[in-house]
Amino acid sequence: MAVYRRSSRRRSVLILLVLTSITLITVDVRGNGGGVTRTARDSARDAMAPVQSAVDDILSPVADWFDGVTQASDLKDENRVLRRELAKARGEAAASRGARRENRELRHLAELPSVADIDGVDTQVIAGSPGNFESTIAVDKGSSDGIAMGMPVVTGDGLVGRVVQASRRRATVLLLTDSVSGVAVRLETTGAAGIANGRAGSDLLELEAVDPAVKVKPGELVLTGESTRFPSGIPVGTVVSVKKSPGAIDQTILVRPVAAIGRASFVRVLKWPTVGQGG
Amino acid sequence: MTRAIRLTLLLIAIVLVQTTILPYLRVFGVVADLGLVATVAVAYREGPETGAIFGFAAGLSMDLFLQTPLGLSALAYALTGYFIGILQGGLLRRAWWIAPVLGALGGIIAGLLSIGIGALVGQEQLFALRSLRLVLLAAVYDALVAPIMFPIVSFAIRGGNPRTTSEVGRPGW
Repeated sequence: MAVYRRSSRRRSVLILLVLTSITLITVDVRGNGGGVTRTARDSARDAMAPVQSAVDDILSPVADWFDGVTQASDLKDENRVLRRELAKARGEAAASRGARRENRELRHLAELPSVADIDGVDTQVIAGSPGNFESTIAVDKGSSDGIAMGMPVVTGDGLVGRVVQASRRRATVLLLTDSVSGVAVRLETTGAAGIANGRAGSDLLELEAVDPAVKVKPGELVLTGESTRFPSGIPVGTVVSVKKSPGAIDQTILVRPVAAIGRASFVRVLKWPTVGQGG
Repeated sequence: MTRAIRLTLLLIAIVLVQTTILPYLRVFGVVADLGLVATVAVAYREGPETGAIFGFAAGLSMDLFLQTPLGLSALAYALTGYFIGILQGGLLRRAWWIAPVLGALGGIIAGLLSIGIGALVGQEQLFALRSLRLVLLAAVYDALVAPIMFPIVSFAIRGGNPRTTSEVGRPGW
């Protein structure tokens, strides 16, 4: 009798926990991450913010040293390649200065902003994702610095992701590689439009909805396309492989992000859409 | 100090470590899930009811720091805690390998539940072979962490009290 009562109580507790969880999930999904659930998340993240900063200050040098020791050989090779590229880039930069000035003037005439014209907030990355099924980073500034949900996040190389949560002192950035991330893009040479989607457990993006008639080559640059979510023309990645299965209509195009996704120490949050632009 | 307070303090410590230190210890794209391993350890020691309650609390605490729907990890961990608690009733002896094996098993169960529940609430992109690879890698990581977490959980439950006569000669947890 006692065993039956204990087993019945166990089941009741489990059913109660399951129902509570389902209610929470429903409230969160229906409220689109807003309302009570957002307040709870914001409070928890703000409370954790000072600890995260302190741990980051302590662990960053250790992590950098560890990376340096374990990747010394790779770093030497990379350094050599980067020096060569830097010399080449300096020459190209000098040659393109005039073109850039011209481009900026034309953009102003057409009232199209470039990334350089958009006001932004420079932030330090203080933590990666604590979970395995999402690709996010936490940055050390939040809504009190003007950061809001949906704002694009970039490094000097290109697009990193977008802000999906901003509490008073912290913001969470959904990286391009997250499985729920999707960015409207265009191919540099043909201008063909597509969507660069993140893939669970992968560093690469998959380019979808590209016109099957368009020939795409590895190495081609992919830029943000015309959308209200991101300013157009920000480098997103380079095509690494193009495959077309026999009988398939669509090609499978994989893209490697140009920005050091998940490894950048500093990122810039663009205050976009700026007033009167986008939606 | 009551057992509930000690377990609450342990949970707070786990959330602190998971959100601040663990992201630096990502290996092959995965991190160990301390909350889940602690849930498995609690369920192993205390049975399905306490395992499910601790799992719910641990999962909900982690949900606050994730972008996945609030309650998803709570549900996955609670079910995992319950299942491991039921399973431990059938284990006749305590061997050194039980902690890593249960850690890995808990990782696989919770990972698969997260993918399944996630897909039901609109995250169907998680249904991919790559997600399965993530689950398996994370389960290996959880297995490695379990032999450290089990004694800590055991200490939190006992509150520093000496082990009973029947526990002497067995692994520390």
